Amino acid sequence: MKAHIISRKRIWMSFIAIVILTFFCILIVYPAISDNFPGSSFFNRFVPKLGLDLQGGTHLVYQADTSQIDNADIESAMEGVREVVERRVNTFGIAEPLVQTSSNNRLIIELAGIFDIKAAIRQIGETPLLEFKEQNPAYVAEPQLTPDQQIELDTYNSDALNRAKDLMSQLQAGADFATLASEHTEDPGSQTTGGSLDYNPRGIFVPEFEQAIWEDLTIGQTTTEPVKTAFGYHIIKLEDKRGEGDTEEALARHILIKTKSAYDFVQPSDQWMLTDLTGKNLTRAEVLFDPQTNEPQVGLVFDSEGKDLFGEITERNLGQPVAIFLDGVAISIPTVQAKITQGEAVITGNFTLPDAKLLAQRLNAGALPIPIELISQQTVGPTLGKISLQKSLVAGMIGLIMIALFMIAFYRLPGLLAVIALIIYSIVALVIFEAWPVTLTLAGVAGFILSVGMAVDANVLIFERMREELRLGKPLSSAVEEGFTRAWASIRDSNVSSLITCLILIWFGTSIIKGFAITLGIGILVSMFTAITVTRTFLRLVASNKLSKYLGLFNIKFKK
Amino acid sequence: MIDFIGKSKYWFSLSGLLILLSFICLGLWGLNWGIDFTGGSLMELEIKTTAVVDTNAIANIAYELEIKDIRVQPSSDDIYLIRMEAIGEELHQQLLNKIETTLIDPTVEGQSMIEHRFDSIGPVIGAELKSKAFSAIALVLLAIVLYIALVFRKVSYPVASWKYGISAIIALAHDIIIIVGVFSLLGRFAGYQVDSLFVTALLTVMGFSVHDTIVTFDRVRENLFHHQELTYKQIVNKSINETVVRSLNTSITTLFVLTAVYLFGGDTIEHFMLALMCGIVIGTFSSIFLASPLLYSWFKLRK
Repeated sequence: MKAHIISRKRIWMSFIAIVILTFFCILIVYPAISDNFPGSSFFNRFVPKLGLDLQGGTHLVYQADTSQIDNADIESAMEGVREVVERRVNTFGIAEPLVQTSSNNRLIIELAGIFDIKAAIRQIGETPLLEFKEQNPAYVAEPQLTPDQQIELDTYNSDALNRAKDLMSQLQAGADFATLASEHTEDPGSQTTGGSLDYNPRGIFVPEFEQAIWEDLTIGQTTTEPVKTAFGYHIIKLEDKRGEGDTEEALARHILIKTKSAYDFVQPSDQWMLTDLTGKNLTRAEVLFDPQTNEPQVGLVFDSEGKDLFGEITERNLGQPVAIFLDGVAISIPTVQAKITQGEAVITGNFTLPDAKLLAQRLNAGALPIPIELISQQTVGPTLGKISLQKSLVAGMIGLIMIALFMIAFYRLPGLLAVIALIIYSIVALVIFEAWPVTLTLAGVAGFILSVGMAVDANVLIFERMREELRLGKPLSSAVEEGFTRAWASIRDSNVSSLITCLILIWFGTSIIKGFAITLGIGILVSMFTAITVTRTFLRLVASNKLSKYLGLFNIKFKK
Repeated sequence: MIDFIGKSKYWFSLSGLLILLSFICLGLWGLNWGIDFTGGSLMELEIKTTAVVDTNAIANIAYELEIKDIRVQPSSDDIYLIRMEAIGEELHQQLLNKIETTLIDPTVEGQSMIEHRFDSIGPVIGAELKSKAFSAIALVLLAIVLYIALVFRKVSYPVASWKYGISAIIALAHDIIIIVGVFSLLGRFAGYQVDSLFVTALLTVMGFSVHDTIVTFDRVRENLFHHQELTYKQIVNKSINETVVRSLNTSITTLFVLTAVYLFGGDTIEHFMLALMCGIVIGTFSSIFLASPLLYSWFKLRK
């Protein structure tokens, strides 16, 4: 009798533990707990991770063409491609982009959320752009103006100076600085603020302006002469200073009268101009060491067309600099020492070894004729994903309700307990999906819903065994225990076969199949756990012998 | 008690007939492989116009762009599925633009076109996926035989433990052949495709069907131990009877959820769900009427 009391106590303790666990899981699953609730920031941290097909996004597979490079260089070239693509992808501002190399020299990119997929694909697919440029003969540091233009320029600028001087005298006559600034300044940024530029630390403005506000003026003073900068003539008033040392800030007002420069008349020409030699002519790049100084260098090897082009370029530019541009940025500007006809070049510079390696890697990636080709794309628009998610959740709820009705109709009281166990099971499984986190795809949601259907199985096995024992006339409490013991071997053996299938699916599958197998597998494991803990505890709790008289609750017609 | 074993020749004939029909379907029509396996592109467009959308117009646009194998299939609610050979991103955008300018008049309010989905799978990837799918199925079959032989290793009298494994595998093969046959038929007459989700469904059904079979075999194992006074035939029959309610109930609850997802879960996984539903029905049939009776037939054969 005493043993019985202790075991009742233990059952109650398990029950309380289940209630606490369930409550904790609900807090994790519930997405928006009010901030007043203790630990809300912890619980709200868990959100389901949705796959590309549910939140919209694209899965891209690129094939790298490695036929043009040596086997030994493939790995570094692939790593180079991945880095370049990753850098490009990062500029899209997409949360958690995935860029990874895969077997068979492939690159897999997954981008989730709402963005311009078309533009993204275009930017990823661009061949890293390697260009060789030579000096533009049309380039001049100072543009030359015609005499007429020079006169026009001088007239405009002296007029500007006169206007500035005129404002200066109005100020000295007592005019309000702010009013004058909003009427006359040609700086659109400070026009509406009465010329005020707000508090600024040192080093923000051009040197002439800095000189005026930090050195020449005291608070409340205005410059006595217009200050000339690259923008034009400024009349500056220092209003206030605050802070000390490095944090010191000055508040100034100014009136700007713009001047013109030669560039307003002549379009500035680019210092560099394109040659026909580009990355497509590069066979490979490698790190070399200068035989004399042992300094790292980057060696370039051109194909036959590149060899000719490079010969011509070096001949044209003997003693002149030539620039090597990568993705539009000059990375090296060597000076041509001699005409080079053997199709090999060396970029010297003050390279450190890692710098030289990185440059070689980037050049190798950029040197691939068609470095990567899109061979597979799976794109889902954001609306379709949303609809799919809603639909599958509704479907899951309907399925769960049907199961509940069936179980209660067929198994009565144990059926009701099984339904509660199933709900707890669903919540626990969701917590695992969120905490792991498992990326939920549409197939994954289907796998989860299927696992709910299959989770019923463990309960059914137990109840059928229990009913057999009850029919044999055993008392309720021992029928419950026997039912569990006998059903367990079947539950274990049969679920293991499903788990084996899941493991093989995960091992072999593509992302869709993987998503399905992972949720199904987790579902099966959790269902075994809930059947032997939750259902069992609930059944033990109700299996007091008082209920033995009401076997109708267990759907048993007692035949003697 | 129902005499499952005594009537086994009827079950065997029914199964044999279904398998024969499946092979005939397969022989006549083969399978309608999806783009996952053959390579190709699939575009899902929502086209909202006041006029009736002319699917031939879409096909013609594709011809102009020299895209091969185009098939346009209207789906529910202004949704159109367009299948074609694998095309690159540039061609994809051209096609999209041309369809939009042809069908949509931007000056009319309420006319719009949204691309919900675009899949394009290169033929190389398709071929790889296909061989992967076949090896996955082979591996699952192998793993299951080994597993069942392991679980039933102590049951060697009167039937050797590996025969339990082989019986389960025959039941499995039966399930797979019939589902594939059904999809051959549906592929021919309803355009159902065999894609990676279908393979997933097959593998899941294999797991489920074995799951069912193991429960019955487990009962045979137990009854052999407890009821040594009964003949093997009686034991197998008793075991089926004792587990049939559980088999049916589990299948019914699983079918409930699958039916719900099939009806309300949206187009994308509709065919997947149908494959699973077929599989659960056939798998339940085979584990009740095929796997255990086979075990007995094997026992009889040895005599």
